Parts: sequence; C-alpha cells; structure tokens
Amino acid sequence: MKSAILAIVFGLAGATNARTADRPQRNYFVYVCAESDDTVHKLRYGPSGFAEVKSISVGAFPAETEGPHGINISPNGRYWFLSIAHGMPFGSIHKFDTANDEWLGDVTVGLFPATLSISPSTGLLFAVNFDLHGDMKPSSISVVETSTMTEVERIDVGIMPHGSRMNAKGTLLYSVNMMSDSLIELDTFKFEVSRTLSLFDSATDEDLLGRISMKVKPTWATAPTPENRIYVAGNGDNVIYEIDLEAWKIARKLDAGNGMGPYNLEVTSDGKLLIATYKSGAYVAIWDLTLGEELARIKTTRRIPHGVAVSDDDKYAFVTLEGVGGEPGTVEVYDLASKERVAVADVGKQAGGIIFWKGAQ
Amino acid sequence: MKQTAVVLILLFVSVAAWAQEEPAEPTPRLTLEVEPSELNLKVGEKATLVATVLDEDGNIVERAVVFFSRRRRSVSINPAGNVEAYRPGEHVLIAMLPKDPEDLHRRADALLTVEIPVTIPNPPAASVDFVALPSAFYAGTVAPIETRVTDTAGANRPDVEVRLETSDESIASLDELGSLSFKKAGMVRITAHAESVSGHIDIDVAADPVTSFELIASGDDVRTGDVVFFEAKALDVNGKAVPDYPVQFATYARPEAGIIAAGATAQIDEDGAFVAERPGLHTIIAVAGNHVARKTIKARMRNVRKEVEVLGQGPVRDRHTSDLWVWEAPDGRDYAITGTWGADGHAYFWDVTEPNSIQLVDTVRVDARTVNDVKITEDGATAIISREGASNRKNGLVILNVSNPTDGVRVIARYDDQLNGGVHNIFIHEGHVYALSNGRRYDIISIEDPTNPYRVGRFELDTSGHGVHDVWVVDGIAYSSNWYDGVVAVDVGGGGQGGAPNNPVKLGSYAYPSGWNHAAFPYKSQSTGKFYAFAGDEAFPYPKDDRPGAPPQRAAGWIHVIEWDEWNEPKEVARYQVPEAGSHNLWVEDDVLYIGYYGGGLRVVDISGELRGDLYRQGREIAFWHPYDPKSVTPNAPNVWGVQPYKGNIFLADFTSGLWAVKLVEPKKRFMGEPTN
Repeated sequence: MKSAILAIVFGLAGATNARTADRPQRNYFVYVCAESDDTVHKLRYGPSGFAEVKSISVGAFPAETEGPHGINISPNGRYWFLSIAHGMPFGSIHKFDTANDEWLGDVTVGLFPATLSISPSTGLLFAVNFDLHGDMKPSSISVVETSTMTEVERIDVGIMPHGSRMNAKGTLLYSVNMMSDSLIELDTFKFEVSRTLSLFDSATDEDLLGRISMKVKPTWATAPTPENRIYVAGNGDNVIYEIDLEAWKIARKLDAGNGMGPYNLEVTSDGKLLIATYKSGAYVAIWDLTLGEELARIKTTRRIPHGVAVSDDDKYAFVTLEGVGGEPGTVEVYDLASKERVAVADVGKQAGGIIFWKGAQ
Repeated sequence: MKQTAVVLILLFVSVAAWAQEEPAEPTPRLTLEVEPSELNLKVGEKATLVATVLDEDGNIVERAVVFFSRRRRSVSINPAGNVEAYRPGEHVLIAMLPKDPEDLHRRADALLTVEIPVTIPNPPAASVDFVALPSAFYAGTVAPIETRVTDTAGANRPDVEVRLETSDESIASLDELGSLSFKKAGMVRITAHAESVSGHIDIDVAADPVTSFELIASGDDVRTGDVVFFEAKALDVNGKAVPDYPVQFATYARPEAGIIAAGATAQIDEDGAFVAERPGLHTIIAVAGNHVARKTIKARMRNVRKEVEVLGQGPVRDRHTSDLWVWEAPDGRDYAITGTWGADGHAYFWDVTEPNSIQLVDTVRVDARTVNDVKITEDGATAIISREGASNRKNGLVILNVSNPTDGVRVIARYDDQLNGGVHNIFIHEGHVYALSNGRRYDIISIEDPTNPYRVGRFELDTSGHGVHDVWVVDGIAYSSNWYDGVVAVDVGGGGQGGAPNNPVKLGSYAYPSGWNHAAFPYKSQSTGKFYAFAGDEAFPYPKDDRPGAPPQRAAGWIHVIEWDEWNEPKEVARYQVPEAGSHNLWVEDDVLYIGYYGGGLRVVDISGELRGDLYRQGREIAFWHPYDPKSVTPNAPNVWGVQPYKGNIFLADFTSGLWAVKLVEPKKRFMGEPTN
C-alpha cells in the first residue's frame, strides 16, 4: 500500500524574504499582474534576494480599474503580452517590449480576456474571452496577429473559458470552459475546436460547448507534459483531473480535499511535479505525478492564492496571492526540492496572473 | 493568366533574445506560392486561394499553411483557402507557413508569410438624387445644392464625386462648391452626374418678389451669452412673407474699448440665433439675393463672476475619494457620504450641518477595493453603495440604514445577484435602484423594502459593442450614458409610453462623434422651460506621467448641451469646455451647472436663458476653484470627481484630498488686463 506522504508546512508568520544561505546562484525573473492596481510588476529572485525590479503602470483610464489579468511571454522572449479585462466594455490585449517594458500596441478583443498563449510556430496569440460577469452563454477565443496587433479570428467555445495553455509545438491549445465543465482542444492552424471533452461525464458531444454545468468548474488546463498528459483544476469539485491526450479521456483524478478549490496549476518540464494553488483553502500544494500523491501542502502567507509559474530549471515555483481589500498582493517563492517557501514579496493589490520570464546569471 | 506569388525566403530560426537559448539548426530553403497573388472581388463573390510549399528543387512539400484575414468582417478566408467578399475596400489576406512544429526551439514567427491584397470595389452608383430642396427658387438668390448618391447595394455614398451642370447659365450658374446662383427668372434643368448615373431637377426660377427686406432682433441691449433671435423678413409687394426666401447671416463687431485682437467675437447660426462672446457693438447682416439688411445691437459683459470661499474640508489623504452625496437625514441634520477608490472598501459619513466644521461620524467597510458610487433614497433614510474589486468577485450593492448617521450606520442588506461584474454607478428613484451591471446594461431593483431587494427589470441596448457608464433618473425617465451610443432616454414610468421599472421602454437617444459620453444630467430650464440633457465626457488621450510626484493624468472632454424637447429631435446646441482639462461628473440646479472637472477643479456655469455656442467663451463661467491640499499623499494635485450644490453651498469630492465645502461670494474688483467678465 502506498503511503501518502503529506507534509503540511505552515508559513512562518511575518516571513518576508529568503535567508542568505538559501538564495539561488542565478537570477529568476517573473512578471506579475496586480489586477486591482492596474500595474504589472517585474520581480527578481536571486543571490540578492527577492524584490521588485520594476512596476509598470498599465491601462488608459486612471479613474477606472481596468484589471490586468493574464500575462505571457512570446516564445522568443522579446515581448510580453497582457490581457486587460475591462474597457468600454470590451477587454484588450497589450504588447510590451521585454527589453525596456515599453508599450508597443494593443487590440480590442472580447469581454474580460484572461489567459493567453503565443504559438511558437506562427507567432499568433490565442486569448480566451472569459466573460466572467456576463450571462451564461458560450464565449470565444480571440486570435491575434501579434506583428500588427490585429484580431484575425474569434472562435466559438464554451461558457466562461478561463485557463488555457498550448503544446510545445504551438499547434494545439487546451482550454477549459468553467461553466460548461468541459475541456477543448483547439487546432491553432485551422482555428477550430478539434475535440471536446466533458469533465462531468464521458460524453464528447458538440453540445457540450453550450451546456451549463457547474459541478467541476474547471479553471485551469496545463500545457501537455512529456507523457502527453494535461492537468485540469476542478475548482468546484476539488479534483485535479489528469487527461490522457491520446485517448482523450480522464486518466486519473487527484483529490485535493474538501473545500480546497484548486485554481491554477503548473507542471515541471520533466512532468514529475505539479504545483497547484488552492484558492479556497489558501494553500499551495506540490504533487508527485508519478505517485499521484500530494507531497506538500503549505499555508500561504495571505489569502486567495491565484497563479503559479515554474522556473525554467524546475527549481522554483512562484505563486501569487490576491489578498483582500486594501491588502497588497503577494508573490511567494517555493523551493521545489525542499518543498518549502523561501521568499515573499509584496506587490500591487490583487496579484493574479504570473509568468516566468527568464533565468540569468 | 493567373499570377502566382512566389516568395523565396531563406530563413533561419532566430536566435532567442537571451543567453539561455541554444543555437538553432538551419532550416531548409522553402518557398510558398499562393495562387492567385491578388484578388479583385465584388461584394458577395467567392474565390479560392491555393498555397503550395516547394523545396529548393521545386518539389512539393506537404506542410500545413495557415490562412487568415486582417479584416475578417470585410473578407473572410477559411482553412481550406475559400474566400468570400463582404464589404468594399482594400484588404489583406495572409497565407502563413508555420515553422516546423517539430523544431522546439523557442521562437515565434512563421517561417514564411505571404500577403494577398484583396480589392473589393464599391458597388456602382445606382442613383443620384437632389435632397433638402427648398419649395421655391428666386432670381437673384443663391441656394446650396445637396445631392445623395446611392449605390446598387443601397448604401449612401458620400465618397462618390458628383458633377453638376446647368442647362442655361444665363438663368442659373454653379460655382466650384456646388452653390447655385439664380440670375433671372425662367426654367432651368440642373443635372447631377455620379459615375455612370445621373439625375436632374427642373427648376422654375421665379422673379424676385421681394420688395421689402428687414431684419428684426428679439433684443438689442444684451449681455454676452444671451441669445438674440434675428428674423429676416422678406415681403412681397402685398406685404406678405415670401416663402423659403434664402437668407444668409453674418456678423462683425466693434469690441469694447480696450479689447484688442479679440479673436472671434460672436457666432450666428443659420436660423438667425446670435450670441456675443465679447462685449461691444455687434452688427448682424442678413443677405438674401440682392437684398441686404443690417442691425446693430449692444452686448455688455455678462458679469456673473463670483469667487469661491472655502468653508471646510473632510480630509481623506491616504486614499482616493470617489463620489459623494449630500442629504438631510430624518434626524434633521445634514450629512455627506463619500466613497473610496482603489483602496480598502470604505465609505465615509460626514456631518456637514456646519460646513465649516465637517465631522466624520461613521465609517463603513465592505469587501471591495472601490466604492465607486454612493446614493441616498429620497426620504434620506437609506444609503446604497456600489462595490468593485470584491475578494470573491461577487461585487454588487450594499444597503445601509442612514436615518441617523451620528448614532451609527447599519448594513441592512446586500445584493449581488447577476451584479458580480462590478456596479460602477447607481441611481435611486421612487423605491428602485438602477444599478449598472458589467458595463453593459442596468438592472432595476426594488428597494421598497430595503431589507429585501429584488430585481424587477433590466435595460440593455442591442447595438454592436454597446456599453453603459452611468444612469440618472428624473420624473420616471432614465437617462443612461452609453459611450459611443450616447445618451439614451428610457421610460420607466414617466415617459408616457407605457414604461415602468419592470418594463423599460426606449424613448430616444443622442450620440456624438467622439464616443466619450460618460455622464448625463437631464434638466428643464427654469428661465426658458426648454428641456436639456447635459452630457459629460470622460477621456484620457494624453500619456501617463509615471514619475514620482507627477500630477494626475490629464483628462480631456467637455459638456455637451443637448436641446431635447422632442425625443426624436435632439439637437446639440452648445458646449462648455475647458481646453486644458477634462470633465467628469456634473449637477444642474437653479439654472446653474456645476461640474467636477478633474484637474480643472470645480467649475460653476450660468446656464440661464437660451443656450447656443461656446458657453466658456461667452463669459458664462461663474467661478472655478482647485482644491489644493499639501498634506495629501498626492500633495497639491486637484482632481475633482463630483460636485453637488446643497443649501446654498457647494460640496465636492476630490480624488486626492477628500470632501470639501465651499460657497460663492461676491468677487473683489480686479483688473485683468482688459475689460472682461
């Protein structure tokens, strides 16, 4: 019988930064969205500790909270792209230069755009129109030509698409529909949904896109692992679903525990570890995917954990915490070898979307 | 012969921007051919693009090609390369050869991209018609000629050039700008040519019947800003008015002594409405054919200027202040409520019974980052505050008992059903809250029992891309501000069209070109009885200044004055604009307009009488004031959000310094370099 190896480590009260002896030998950079401050923060974790390098003001209306939500880096590292949730009334995608964080352009998309991915094969960007606050009806994924910042297509998907990630080839995008309890696979060359999978049952009917179903409430889909699996966060039923992409079916269900509310997920590049934010429970969890066991569950230093990004060398996970009200947002760093939190830094309010940018000496 | 686009590009995988990237292996030399290389399609026509990938030996390589359109609503293309034309114009289709998906080095550009230009010409003109013609034409007069070109798709085509010709230059001649001069009586045909179609009118030019031509003014000793209506009376030999006799008005002035290089001194509209901007003698000229009449009137300075005396402040220095509302509570005292923005969800309650001693009496904190709007019921007993940025993203409304704020404010209910998109603005009218939802619509919620709110109705436009920013309800009519869709009036019980809170009925709307419509205040003028909608902009076209200590971002926009006595005939007649600042919220009372003008501070404007033209330039501004607070987190950075006149004083909410109470006082005599208002 396999024994569950579970270590629950409670965060040290008042911990603010890494001990000098634990600090990495190289620098790691992340970009973080502060959704209620209309700022994006660039942070560095390295030999000198963990701190904000730069705060970039985004949005156009100083008296309106426009809500930077999703963020990603172009595969060649030259640009970062940001989704801004609110407008008049539509959201938008913005392009910035990673060299100097200069704003380069934007394009209006649908309502409340969330996660976004750029295909390494075409350079086209795919952004889900989450439409969080809209009526329960099917939404869409916008396709943007990033060289001209032009929306070139809008693909109908399910209700409230949220988490989405692309395969390494950039040929397929995986996205979950939070209020349709479904996962879709989208062909990024043909701009069409190639497969749909119900997370509620085993049906694969096209009608899944328009179905209102809130049992699972999937909020995230990871990029495919080397084993051709993706993982879906079931925020509503506290389950992390492992999807076999070849068979196109649920292969395993990992029970996060009652009331945990897994929200965002990230898998290490070797496919061995999965890091999850438990939004409702206020934990960060580290899973061994080979064993299918939760190795660690760490209480976060602030409420409402949101996003997670893993460093390029699989050594660290960076987690955002939204906080409540006027509290700052927070970014925590977890050492994936020791399964401990090693650094914390505050940013703007409601820290959410996060992306790993680069590691450098 | 079809042309073939041949694109030969030798492309190596680009080296990544940072040092961690491994160097890429060279990519084979490929070409992407697309047939045809360009398209010329009529609206509704279809075509197919065929893309072929060749290696350097000319062998076909099986590779997926991605097609898309940069203007998919004008011309579409599907993955198979099938094209369909929808709208005229010059468009571009893209055929893209992705980089080899098996090459997993980080990069993000296609291997090859071919642009295929698509020309979809406008449909040809189907007809050209003369429009807005007067009922009669007279020798000696000038008439502008308007034409309308309609194409075969039924679209109006102002882009098509129209050439006019006259059949008899001795009767009617045309100038380069399309004005027709009638020289003598007789029949003449005017023909309009547009592309290959033409249309004509036959005009019977009558002899000039006018024997008496005079100009009458509704007043001759006025102030700047007063509207004078000029009527040109063209009478025939029998003393009867000649119908549709074309009259043009002009004006020139001799400004008051001491005013040099005055700039424009007045304006006169086509209907003869005149308004002076500078004091002095103004001569109005009416020209009709060979008849000229003139009249000179005197315009004095309007002299409405007041100065502002500060009474008190309710300071909020550590966070931004949003909106305010001032009212008399059932306990008989005067209170103000202010919201906070981008902070911790607080709303503040102030005793303002003595405006020079504003006291904070209670604070309410809700789960929100912004309490954007605050409103009080007509009986003064209930407050409603809106939430944005709630930690659970549910947002919605919070209902409070404020019958005696000095003894404490109590939360009595919350309502967030289908309002989780954040409630940006609200209005309370006759037991109902009009609450904006998700920036798309407003929900109408009964609070007849404030402890048990429930939705009774909803209003949402059906225009493409519609949005809503604010709503204000007066006499059973809701006026919402809808950005590009402008001000929309809806019957919710007072419009006589069967509307009710559970059955809102649209009455009419007015949109203006900028799309900046952000707020509206409906108002019936006390002096003229005319009904107006004062529509306010909000816009930030200027870049942010992120340097520490930089002033708040500069806004733009102004107040549009819309005369609106008939729902289907709104007419924008005037503006109030401070060129170096931008408007936000506004209030109108006793024929005075009060505006929170962001960096322009508080603005107070006389809107009595008829309104035409540029109210600022007419000297109608009564007062302006900037709230400077050196102790604020953003010191000395006035940014006035909202304003409310109340019991003879003026209360305003400033984004950076909190609540202020001021009053208008008689101005001190000051010399301003020249005679001025």
